[in-house]
Amino acid sequence: MNGARGSARVWIASRWDSFGLPALIAVLVLVFSLLSSTFASGYNLFSNLAFSSLVGIGAIGMVFCIMSGDFDISVGSMSALAGVLGASLVGRIGGVGAVLVTVATATVCGIVNGVFVTKLRIPAFITTLGMQYVYRAIAYIYTSNTPVYIKDPFWLFLGSGTVLGIPLPIIITAICFAAAVYVLRKTPFGRSVIAVGTNKTAAMLSGINVDFIKNMVFVLVGFFVGVATVVTASYLGSVNPGMTGQGYEFQVITVVVLGGTALTGGNGNMLGAFFASLFLTYLQNGLGLKQVNSYWQFVATGLVLIFAVGINRVKSALLGQREL
Amino acid sequence: MKKILSILLVLAVMAGTAFAGGAGEGAKKEVTIGFSLWTMKYTFFQAVEKGVRDACKELGYKYIMIDQNEDATKMVNDLNSLVGQKVTGIVITPVDPGAIGPAVQKARDAKIPVVCADIGKTGPVNALMISNNKKGGEMAMEYMDKLFKEKGIESKKVGVGRVQPQYTYASQRGDGFVAKAKELGYSVVSDLVTQPPTAEGGYDTMQQMLSANPDIAGVFFASGREAVGAANAIKAAGKSTLVVGYNGDPEEIQAMKDGIMAGDIAQQPYYIGYQSVMILKDIFAGKTYEDAVVPVDVALLTPDTVDDFQKKVDALMKK
Repeated sequence: MNGARGSARVWIASRWDSFGLPALIAVLVLVFSLLSSTFASGYNLFSNLAFSSLVGIGAIGMVFCIMSGDFDISVGSMSALAGVLGASLVGRIGGVGAVLVTVATATVCGIVNGVFVTKLRIPAFITTLGMQYVYRAIAYIYTSNTPVYIKDPFWLFLGSGTVLGIPLPIIITAICFAAAVYVLRKTPFGRSVIAVGTNKTAAMLSGINVDFIKNMVFVLVGFFVGVATVVTASYLGSVNPGMTGQGYEFQVITVVVLGGTALTGGNGNMLGAFFASLFLTYLQNGLGLKQVNSYWQFVATGLVLIFAVGINRVKSALLGQREL
Repeated sequence: MKKILSILLVLAVMAGTAFAGGAGEGAKKEVTIGFSLWTMKYTFFQAVEKGVRDACKELGYKYIMIDQNEDATKMVNDLNSLVGQKVTGIVITPVDPGAIGPAVQKARDAKIPVVCADIGKTGPVNALMISNNKKGGEMAMEYMDKLFKEKGIESKKVGVGRVQPQYTYASQRGDGFVAKAKELGYSVVSDLVTQPPTAEGGYDTMQQMLSANPDIAGVFFASGREAVGAANAIKAAGKSTLVVGYNGDPEEIQAMKDGIMAGDIAQQPYYIGYQSVMILKDIFAGKTYEDAVVPVDVALLTPDTVDDFQKKVDALMKK
């Protein structure tokens, strides 16, 4: 390999995790801004930043989950169940109570998933595949397949209100990601999650309570899905047992992988998930504003995902890291 | 440190372009209509879109269309985006009519009128153009009654395959059918929601109906694709149950020509789209519309009248 070119590639590769996606976002924003003055408006950029939180917040838990070596594809159905349960109780326990019920319900779903995986030893993929049907079915039955409308001012404020000019969803996202990054990088729990995902046996042998870690990870998935559901429901003003969360699991996993977390488990990129959700939101919005046919938008998302995984492999190879 | 730098990098670029973009905006005098559409996958919605587009062309309005991709959250984000683009008026055919409330409020706060072209409404919309669905359901039962008498069918058992309950306006099709059935002395032995809302769902639901009531004489499926699926299920089972559908799509026309469907209630999607823009024109001129529901006539299609109907539709779509 030529010395000068080789070291340039290595230079980029070593900084990719931190700067790759942000740089791509900067390029994307620049390009679309030149193509459409509406894209470049502060209103548009900020409202999309807020919108990206719907998938972004849910992705936080999924990053922990995938890093620990598991999957959770019941997140969409969890969202539906938590949403309808919370929304239906607004009249009885008020907006704040209803929001807490939503987050709690999703968290309980996470606990249930965790129990199946750790106590009954059913693989996470199968567990969450099955629970996906169960959670949504409960949502259907509970509401008789009718949507639940949200008129509570507190709940609606969470999605559309602003504090000091900043949309509340952005503030909530920032707090959630800050907390998540701290837990991941600065706490023994975070390190244990990485250890369990890298090599479960070695982690166990070094004294980590693998079952506890796995349970906590599913709890985190549930919790953050609950928070994301609260914000989404506020955005829409309603929760629909059939429509809420449809396809959510795919959006969340796409964002996690695009963000640089390997599907094989081990180390992951928490902030990468945030940037990925931002990137995909801006991409979709920019293409939409240029009146690009929606099917091409799907093509774009698919290609971006493949491109991102490809880049990660090249980066790993250049740095001599473990193959993804 | 690296993370903070990257966040700052993105924010800096965003801020920079926000200022750059803002400087170039001049005052827009031309009228822009933003149209948010459920999907372009089905002919019904393609007709609504053409109606909106043609009306804009005729009136010299600028036309922006965003496809919701059948995604409720995208629908809301698109609405917010249209508001951000400061369009003059919004037409929306929502995939989830129950989820547009907050977004419509934002539009109205920004002094942008909103007209719903079919499906339903939530929040402070100016108007909703929707077919007279209850009457359509009644017409379906009346036609079935006429056919039973013509064919000498004595059975009084009928069934209904409804649309999903969140579509409150379309649900009136089933309500109208059931009410008229009871009035005419029929017994609705099967009252189901077609799940999923596709042709396969219609097929499945019809099979369930036939298992429970093998001698069911007639069924009304409140949505076109589902009705065609049901018709195929009846044919596969070798039964002669009469099927009436709703919409007026090419699949139903074909099913009637093939002899597996007895009748269809046709909507006027092109007209709905077209008139929605006309309502906006009236609102721009000062006329008041607030939470108005504008009913649109539906027509009964029979195997004899389908060819004429198809010709009229083709003419509209080729315009």
